This record gives sequence, C-alpha cells and structure tokens, in this order.
Amino acid sequence: MLEQFQSIGRDLFLAGVISSHGGNMSVRMGDRIFITRRGSMLARLGERDIVETGLGENDANVTLASTEIGVHRAIYQATSALAIVHSHPPYAIVQSLVKDEIVPVDSEGSYLLHKVPVVAAELTAGSREVAEMLPARLAEYDLVMLRGHGPFAIGHLLEEAYQLTSVFELTCKILTIAEGMTAEVKEYRKGSEQYGSW
Amino acid sequence: MTSRASVLPPLRGLRLDLSAQTQSQEELPAAVAHEVLGGRGLGAWLLLRERVFAADALGPENSLVFAPGPLTGTGAPASGRYSVSTRSPLTGTLFDGNSGGAWGSALRRLGYDYLVVAGACAARSYVFVGSQGVEWRPAGELWGADVPASLARLRDLHPRCEAAVIGPAGERGVLFASIVNNRGRSLGRGGLGAVMGAKNLKALVLAGDGGHRPPVADAERLKFVVYEAEKLLKSNPITSQALPEFGTAVLVNVLNQAGAFPTRNFRASQFEGAEAISGEALRKGYVQRRSACRGCGIGCARRTTAGGESGDGPEYESIWALGADCGVADLTAIVQAGYACNRAGMDTITMGATIACAMELTEEGLLAGGPRFGDARAVVEMTQATAAGEGLGEELGQGSARLAARYGRHELSMSVKGLELPAYDPRGMKGQGLAYATSSRGGCHLRANMLGPEILGVPKMIDRFATLGKAGLLINMQNLNAVLDSLSLCKFTGFAMKEDYYARLLSAVWGEPMEPQELLRIGERIWNLERLFNLAAGFGRADDTLPARLLHEPVAAGPARGQVVDLPPMLDEYYVSRGWDDAGVPAAAKLAALGLADAISVADLDMGRGAKAGVPAAGAA
Repeated sequence: MLEQFQSIGRDLFLAGVISSHGGNMSVRMGDRIFITRRGSMLARLGERDIVETGLGENDANVTLASTEIGVHRAIYQATSALAIVHSHPPYAIVQSLVKDEIVPVDSEGSYLLHKVPVVAAELTAGSREVAEMLPARLAEYDLVMLRGHGPFAIGHLLEEAYQLTSVFELTCKILTIAEGMTAEVKEYRKGSEQYGSW
Repeated sequence: MTSRASVLPPLRGLRLDLSAQTQSQEELPAAVAHEVLGGRGLGAWLLLRERVFAADALGPENSLVFAPGPLTGTGAPASGRYSVSTRSPLTGTLFDGNSGGAWGSALRRLGYDYLVVAGACAARSYVFVGSQGVEWRPAGELWGADVPASLARLRDLHPRCEAAVIGPAGERGVLFASIVNNRGRSLGRGGLGAVMGAKNLKALVLAGDGGHRPPVADAERLKFVVYEAEKLLKSNPITSQALPEFGTAVLVNVLNQAGAFPTRNFRASQFEGAEAISGEALRKGYVQRRSACRGCGIGCARRTTAGGESGDGPEYESIWALGADCGVADLTAIVQAGYACNRAGMDTITMGATIACAMELTEEGLLAGGPRFGDARAVVEMTQATAAGEGLGEELGQGSARLAARYGRHELSMSVKGLELPAYDPRGMKGQGLAYATSSRGGCHLRANMLGPEILGVPKMIDRFATLGKAGLLINMQNLNAVLDSLSLCKFTGFAMKEDYYARLLSAVWGEPMEPQELLRIGERIWNLERLFNLAAGFGRADDTLPARLLHEPVAAGPARGQVVDLPPMLDEYYVSRGWDDAGVPAAAKLAALGLADAISVADLDMGRGAKAGVPAAGAA
C-alpha cells in the first residue's frame, strides 16, 4: 500500500497538480482509513506519512491525519469509494472560477467524465460544510470540483481516482486553451449537446 | 424497507399453482422495484418473504421465480436477459440462474414483470402463457425428448413462441440439470432444471409477442445513454475484439499463462494441453459462426461443428471443465461432451468437475473401474451415462460433493457450498478465493470475478498474489453484479461500463433520478437479503470456505508455484467491510441502514443454525 501512495503522490507532484505540501490521498480497508499525514510532501512519502484511523470514529491518530480527514471520512461513509485523491490542479481551479459545471471538449475527458459539477463553500479546506456537501455530489459523479480549491476524485482503487484527477486537469487545460482561441471550435461528437445533462 | 415517492407502476406478476392448476395475477408496490429492481433481486425478495429457505428443494413447497428486470427489452445494451430463482437442490442455498435469449423480453411483452411457479403438477405437463391467458397442457411425447427436440416440437405447436424447457436430466432429477430456452441459452447452474422436473413441469412457453412494450419513461434520454454506452463497448478491446472474435474461450490461454488454469481436479494450475483447447484452436477448427443474445452487440456465443455434429458452444468454462479439469486435450471430445450436456440439459461445469472428481477417486484406488485423467472417450461416455442415468452416471448426477462423500473423501470435491468451482484457480488469484468462499450461491464466478483486476487489469491491475486489501473491491463487485442480474444486463458490459452508465440507463427508463451510489446500495441490499436466506437455510461462517487443497496444497509448478490461499484474514476483512459480525451475520445496524430490519424473524435465523435440511444427502458408500 505504501508503494501505491508513494508512486501516485510523486506523479501528482510531477504533473504539477499539487504544490510541495499540497493535496491528500486515502484508501479504505474494512472499517479503517489510511490517509496521508497532515503537512506531508506527497512526492516524498515515507512510512510515517500514512496515518491509520477509524472509519466510524476518531482516535488519537487523527492528530496526525490530513486536514481533510473529515471530508474523506464523510465520503467513505456515504459512498462505495475505496480510494480518494484530492489535488490542486491549476487549470481546473481556473475553470472552476468561471463555471458551475465543466463539460469537456476533448475525447478522453468526454468518455471518462462527461461532466464535472462545481460546488462552492465559504471555507474550502477541511470544513464541516464541505464534508456535508461533497458526499451527495460524489454519489452522482466520481469527480467533483470544489471551486477555487481542487477536485475530489473517488475510485475502487487509488489508481482510478488518480486517473480521473489527471484526465480532469488535462481536460481543463484543453478547455482553457480552446476558450482562448478566436477561431470557432468544431464539434465532432454526436450528442455532445446532452453532456451537460449527464 | 425503504420507500420513496414514485410514478412507477406496480410490479405485475403471474402466479401459477401447479398443484391446483390455477393461475392468478398479482401486484407488488413500486417500492419493491426501488428496493431490489427485478430479476435476481426480486427473486430473493419473494423467496425470503415466502420462507422458501424452509422448503424441500425438490418438494412442491419450493417455488421458482422467473423474472426479467426493468431494463429487459428496452434497448439497453445486452439487456435481453432474465433470472430464475429458487432453492437449489444441489447446494441448499438460495440460487438464481441468469440467461440471455428472448424469453425475458417475451414475458415483459405479455405485460408481466415476474412469474412464480409454485406447487407441483400431478401429471407431466407444460404451461403456455399467451395474451389470452394460461393453458395447461399434458407434456405427452415431450417428456423424454431431449432439449433440441423439445424446443422444435414446441415451436411447431406454438409458432413464434419463446420456450424455457428441461431435458431428460431435469426430468430424471440430475441435481445440476439446467433450464434451456429456444435461443440456445441456458440457466445452467445449481439444478434449476431438477426443480422444474420435480414439479413435473417440462416447459414454460410464452407467446412470442404479447403486444405490451416494456415502459420507457424518457426514450430520447435512453437513446443518448445507450449511444454513449455503446461507444465504450465498441472501443474496449475485450468487448469489441476478444469476445466477438474468440468467444469466452479466449480465456484459456490467458488463464493458463497466468498459472490460474485449474488442471486435473485442481492438482495443478497449468495445463500442458491448453493450446490444443484454446479459443484460437476452437475458432480454427470448429466455429461455424458467432451468435448473440437479443439486443447484444458483443456476440460472445458460438455455433460449432465437431465429429459430424453441430451445436452451441462450448464456452470457456465448458472447455475447461470437460477438458483441462479432466486432463483432456482433445477438443473434439470436449465439444461433443458439451453437446451431450446441452441435449440433456445439464450444467457443463458441474458435469466436468464431477467427472474430474471421479477420476481422482479412481486414481486414489477408491472407485474401481472409474474414469482416469486424460481419457477423452471417458468424458464423453460419462456425460452420456449421466444424462441417461446409467451405471456410474447415476452417481455422477448427484454432483461431486455427494460423490466424494459417498467414497469417504469429501475433500476431493472441488466445490464451495456444494457448487463446483469454475475455471479460475484462486491460488493464482487470491481475491478469487475470497469471491468463491463468500459467494451466495457457492463456488461461482458470476457473483464476482476478480479476473478483471487480478488478470486483465480491469479497472486497474492489482497484485494477484496479495491477500489483504481486496475485500472492499470484491464487495463493490458483488454488489454491482447483483444490480446487473436484477436490471437484467449481461455482466460482460462491465468490462467497459461503470455503474454511472447503469444508473443513467435506469434513470432514463424509470424517468426518475438514480445515482450510481444508490444503485450500489440496492446491490448491497440484495446481497444481504441473500445472506439472510442462506443463514436461515443453515449456512454460516463455516461454509464460507474453500476446498482444503486450495488452502493447504501449494501449487507445484508454474507462475503460481508455492501459492495457497490464506483465507481467514481475508474473510475477517470481508465481514468487517460488509458490516457483519464474526459469524457472518449482518449486524442489526447494517440491516436497519438497508431497510431490512424486518426482513426475517429471529426465529427463522435461529432455525438455520447448523441445519441444512431440505436437500438430498449423499448416499451411503
């Protein structure tokens, strides 16, 4: 499990979707959660950077856990997710500042995401508000964007949640570039006008 | 149970009382569809409510529930399916088979969401259901006819009908007799055909077009989601190339190379003759054409010829059971043995696995004059003898667990809860061991198959030899498959599609919001209903296990060399993740959360502890 955290954490940093100490990840095993340590560097995770705590209730380890432990716990309690990746991708953040939902125009994003809802909160990091709001949206979509902050992606495996994160940032980059062009974007996807209703 | 506001119509059912030769129409509130969808879920719901766990599986008090799902016949991909649920005479568990073809669509076109068969006919009969009502007919010359002849005769008698029949095996009480429909598809496992046979019921025949269209609330929306789903199916190499090109037999070489291809009754996990019985060999020498169930674009089925005969199949599991598991590399003999099973209406997996068990008993000196590993002719002859109920075939017809027990070596039956394991050696894919042990219908790959993540990398590749950390993934898979069997959709769509697609298909058909997570919750509810039934039928933690060979005998050679399944810690993780106690009983809080607090009485649960009455026992040696 540590190897998974290490390789995906490093990839997140190298992809430029987190800062040196940003983002967090977790997996669920039975009634336990394994989450990255608060303030850990995801590109340099060691054994002591993975914190084990309860799914149903807190224990002393929560003092070490990521700031977002409450959000992760709420998501696990409300969904079938077994892994969560939370990152701070720049293009996704830019898109979320101007949109209530993000609909991909690229092929990969269209296949995998169709549409990503954007939600807003007054306190965006580790807040009860986010913990109450996100699980309901993640019951509908495997990736939800928190405006100005970053996406929460869920999966059965850490790699799945990471893939969605990676595809989403690329989608947002393509969108941002496309929207900056003066030429009209030519539609190539049958039925794409319905993606917003996905 | 849960309830929610709905515009859904009630579920409309037809109940046939074979004992009284009467029929009645009934309705269930739409809330039941919200709770368990249809198909397998509805079968579990009805049979638990009617306390079939206390029934003699071969007695008139057992019932059969035939149920398509809400997506059957709607145009959703690979949706021409239906389930049949009952208490299995082979395992004693709740059991359902799921089949393609067009029988399920025909039932919906008659305006029914399910059909319950209760009681037993006094004389050999078949039943015809048309838009004008139910006709009770004597079976006459149909009784004794094999499956193809029965289907042909019924089609003469009722042009354009859809029929589900049993063959001589079901009539004779072979405990793994199947039900077959006239699109060549079987409800193969668990002895559903034996239950029909015990009821003196040869066939259930439906008028081909009852005039009702399965309701679709938002046809435009459905069209869009189907289009999106088919894009995935057409671009995925498993659903667009491997299965259409080679059929399921494509897995022979894949599993053999992985060292997870059980050989000679699981004494090895690689077969030296795999190439000769592979999907590639089948395509080259035997396949006439491919075929597909109604509404399916994958087309995994095969029409073949061998030794002057022609017929359907064999599928991967049949090739394995009648081939590698018996040490046989003669593909012609395997195909012919498969035809014999199809004609008689028998499950090829249990047939082959039981012959393999007999072969090991013979080699151990316990079964004088029995078949030996590698004897292709013996596989064909034993299959025919079982169908005819002749000689050793009479004993083989009771399945491997009773056969092995009869000769004092129960551990040589490679089965879980009495159902023979299929073609994946869990020592080479440990998660599959947990899947077998916890399957609600016994040794089965269709409740959940870790082939995806452990071998094919779907959705992602995981370490197949790892023990812990797989319970959650398996549970999600079990829950999702319960949903697919209840919608009813083919599981092969799952190689390309995820739960969000299924949720959106159902949402379009029902005209109501349906979240993917809610769908998985429904799957979890169905799984727990099945668990409650099985607990009341006498199954518990001690039954959630594997044959001793897989727990204690390391694989001798190949990629899985040295591996056994370390089951106890996996089972502990599984129970915790399920919200069950150490004995495998769902906790009260879990049942309450799923709306199942009143699904079964404490007395019924207590009744099941340690007792498995109501199924045929092994005969004395």
